[in-house]
Amino acid sequence: MTVNIGDVVPTFTRETGFANWNRYAAVNDEFVPIHMDDAAGEAAGNGGAFGMGNLQWAYLHNMLRSWIGETGEILSMEVQFRSPNVKGQTITAHGVVTAVEGDVVTLEVWTDQQDGIKLAPGTATVRMGK
Amino acid sequence: MPDTYMVPEVLAAIGRECSRTTSYPITASDIRKWALAVYWPEKPPQKFIDAEYATEDFDPFAWGPQKYESLLPEDDGSVIYRHGINEDALGIPKWDFIVGLNGGMDCQYGVRMHVGDVITDVKSVGQWSERPGKNGLMLMTRHVSVWTNQRGEEVKRTINTGISY
Repeated sequence: MTVNIGDVVPTFTRETGFANWNRYAAVNDEFVPIHMDDAAGEAAGNGGAFGMGNLQWAYLHNMLRSWIGETGEILSMEVQFRSPNVKGQTITAHGVVTAVEGDVVTLEVWTDQQDGIKLAPGTATVRMGK
Repeated sequence: MPDTYMVPEVLAAIGRECSRTTSYPITASDIRKWALAVYWPEKPPQKFIDAEYATEDFDPFAWGPQKYESLLPEDDGSVIYRHGINEDALGIPKWDFIVGLNGGMDCQYGVRMHVGDVITDVKSVGQWSERPGKNGLMLMTRHVSVWTNQRGEEVKRTINTGISY
């Protein structure tokens, strides 16, 4: 696959809420009140329970993994968690190519919610599969 | 709220290795369940169902380690710190924070994790910093985590940033 600066990666989208978060808590032992209880989430200033940053991290990886192909590799990722993922949001992971050097590609990546507000912006580098 | 969080105890802690944690051997079920959770409600790619290797974000320490060892002489290691840093043993003051947030992650990946791998995680104190915010002075903690497998190959190197105010 030929990759060029400005190429857009196919997105990865999930509607989010307790059904996602509880499954993630179950594998990551992340039974933290702010992710499971609206009162705890509200006390933390988020209007209710909110999802794990690590799950958005996973969604970004899922997006890239699907794009780079079976023999591709994710080399690095850096993300800031800027805004909470609250119940009922549709979260989409995005990526846009910003640099290409041989088979190593640098991307701007981010998750956003259905209104386009970015939750977790960052960068990633991948090695494209053959 | 203090005038600064960069007190001598914090400055002395930066760069110190704090703990070494060893995972149980990774199982196919661990890999499969993790993938089912992060791809739900759709089915994960078949390679994760077959547990060819784990997703990069997989955490073999999630449900507790096989072995935990503090590297701080001031800490007897009797309490396992999941995030690996015993701030009390480092003498870091207990500030009265109202909010603690996961600020972000920065990760460099090495070799993949496979069934049977035993991962060792060495955690150290990264470069902490502070900056003024609308809610007052904010502390940015950074914890560095280096994972290697049983062959000594680096699996990943992560900096986790926490924000407190």
